[in-house]
Amino acid sequence: MRREQPRSPCLTDVEPDRISCLPGHVIDQVLSHLSIREAVRTSVLSSKWRYKWATLPILVFDTHCVSVASQDHMIIKNKLLRIIDHVLLLHSGPINKFKLSHRDLIGVTDIDRWTLHLCRKSIKEFVLEIWKGQRYKIHSCLFSCQSLTHLELFNCWLKPPSTFQGFKNLKSLDLQHVTLAQDVFENLISSCPLLERLTLMNFDGFTNLNIDAPNLLFFDIGGKFEDISFENTFQLAVVSIGLYLNFEINQSRLHGGSSNLLKFFVHLPHVQRLEVQSYFLKYLAVGVVPIKLPRPCIDLSYLSIRINFNDLKEISASLCLLRSSPNLQELEILARPEEQTVLLTHTYCWEDVYFSCPVMQLRYVKIDGISGIKPELDFINFLLLHSPVLERMTVKPVANVGLELMKELLRFRRASGQAEIIYLEPS
Amino acid sequence: MFDAAMAVVKPEMKSYIWLQTVDGSIQQVEEEVAMFCPMICQEVLQTGLGSSKTYAISLPQRVNPAMLGLILDYCRFHQVPGHSNKERKTFDEKFIRMDTKKLCELTSAADSLQLKPLVDLTSRALARIIEGKTPEEIRETFHLPDDLTEEEKLEPLRNITDDPRIRLLNRLYARKRKELKERKKLKDVEVEEEPKDERSVEDLLSFINGADGGMSYIKGTRANKNKKKNRRRKDHAKDISSENTNENDKELNPLPSAYHDVNFDNALEASASKHSRTQNLPAINFSPKFEFIDGDVDDDLDPAMKEELDREVEDFARRLNSDWPERMQILSLGQDRRLVPISMNSNGSTHLYTGFDQR
Repeated sequence: MRREQPRSPCLTDVEPDRISCLPGHVIDQVLSHLSIREAVRTSVLSSKWRYKWATLPILVFDTHCVSVASQDHMIIKNKLLRIIDHVLLLHSGPINKFKLSHRDLIGVTDIDRWTLHLCRKSIKEFVLEIWKGQRYKIHSCLFSCQSLTHLELFNCWLKPPSTFQGFKNLKSLDLQHVTLAQDVFENLISSCPLLERLTLMNFDGFTNLNIDAPNLLFFDIGGKFEDISFENTFQLAVVSIGLYLNFEINQSRLHGGSSNLLKFFVHLPHVQRLEVQSYFLKYLAVGVVPIKLPRPCIDLSYLSIRINFNDLKEISASLCLLRSSPNLQELEILARPEEQTVLLTHTYCWEDVYFSCPVMQLRYVKIDGISGIKPELDFINFLLLHSPVLERMTVKPVANVGLELMKELLRFRRASGQAEIIYLEPS
Repeated sequence: MFDAAMAVVKPEMKSYIWLQTVDGSIQQVEEEVAMFCPMICQEVLQTGLGSSKTYAISLPQRVNPAMLGLILDYCRFHQVPGHSNKERKTFDEKFIRMDTKKLCELTSAADSLQLKPLVDLTSRALARIIEGKTPEEIRETFHLPDDLTEEEKLEPLRNITDDPRIRLLNRLYARKRKELKERKKLKDVEVEEEPKDERSVEDLLSFINGADGGMSYIKGTRANKNKKKNRRRKDHAKDISSENTNENDKELNPLPSAYHDVNFDNALEASASKHSRTQNLPAINFSPKFEFIDGDVDDDLDPAMKEELDREVEDFARRLNSDWPERMQILSLGQDRRLVPISMNSNGSTHLYTGFDQR
């Protein structure tokens, strides 16, 4: 118990109170940097501060902000429900951002009520994360909320009503662990004309991705799909695609089938950063792999590929990309570990694969997960021979790789006089 | 006019903008630095002012010369495109180190000049100051007047607690503190108990975290409270048959008002009418003032009494803990079935109720 200095009751404070007269939007900004709990606490500071918190434009309810010291889930849940109810009720003014991401709040139907309330308050950013349990079905009222600019959902099921016309102001969409039907997905993407950022991870309910988004700048997906194509995405700058499904190539498609690689890049003329993850390179390699793309990716400066060095087609596909990226500066090669033990079924001739070699502008190369097999070494050799401005190459093998790899690396000729080759210990 | 022309053309061919602060003083600032402030930039572009001393741009009232100096330092650094992000961050961290008073002034000045990055920086700094402090500490730091009544302090957060026990205890505590404050005003001496504003908030918040923490705290301080109440009781001991129940009597006064349940109120009215002193019970207003409490000035207490009081406190708290579930049941039933009057007078219920009968 802290005791104050004794002072006579008639002593008035001569120091002026400077903070309370700051404009409302500034106070809102200050309070928005505090947790909701600390912000609400300011209501007991003085009569002026009683309702300053109530105009907070950002409401975040997550495991940090609201901690309930109890082991009983019911108690925690009930307390949390009450807190959110009361904060929402006592709040006044528009709410710009609402985030609900609490470990113990699992699929309570009160979320529907809050969603409706928020839609009436012109919510702009809505983040809902259901940590565990079944997919939570988003209430239909959210789909008529035209003030949304950012929507982020985790573990939800989206089933918009038939009257759904899209989110006219949505700029950023982040869906992870979601379920939606094929037509719902397509309609969603194409009816959000301002969409700039799209993140899609671990989705189900649809397998064909047709991305029709003229303003899209950032695209990040990871999941199981069969087909992906872009339409009107001429501004797309950052693309990261991970195909988590090791599909079996249909034999008939192998011969004379249209190249996925060609199809993929048709609508991506200005891509700057590209990440080809998991089995996506395998997907791209389907069909006849072109030697190089009809239109080079002149803006591509960063490329990351997950590759299976035992698959000649994948090597060809990555070479095609390298030939078509005259301004590529950074390259990351990640070997797919599980397939490294299977040796190449047929040997190949260097010239057959590594022909029409461009002069690359690569500066930094990172190679990860290799085990020292011939295709890998050939590839590295190729990179070193054709990168005159290379500054640094980092090589990190898998465990239990002998010294042979290092010996080979030392031996390779380098086109670049200042190239450093850094051999990292396997972790 | 001649002067204006001379002022603009400087030997090193740099252009300057003239700014006038609210106190009348005028200073000239390098153009690129001043233009970093959106408000100044807008003024220059729209009105063409600022090119000479006589046509200086009048800055908003919230910008005094000292603050202008700081803001210009900020602008001078940040308008240079060559700095790395790390350098900017380091500068910001050093820049923001100032006393709270200045920080508030700077925030206000930056806001009036629409310099968003600086407003962002200062508001984060202010938030860091507020974070983790008790309300008492925050009031001290920012010189906020402590002008809320106890009730008001509890009100906005009261909704967040859902446990009726806690609500009851908070009310008791709040009433006690209000009473102490009033006496303090009368007596002009330091009282034993400081109005610990932050305590009630902490309690409430600790109740968000879990009832036990808060409860045990309340228990601990009860001794002081009861001491004072019981002293008074000595004077009016005549009508009381048992000290035990009377002790509870006082504690229980707020009980009816804790549950604004009409049925409950009726029942109390029925029982209260038996006694000479009906207090405010029939009205069932939660009023912190209970006339019979005020006016006690006796401060000493003999040790035996003290012990007894402590025991009674414990007793009450224990009963409170054990009876609540039962009472809650009674009350919730009462809302639809008006059972309360029946249970009120039954002995099977609790001692607590008999207290009312005695009044």
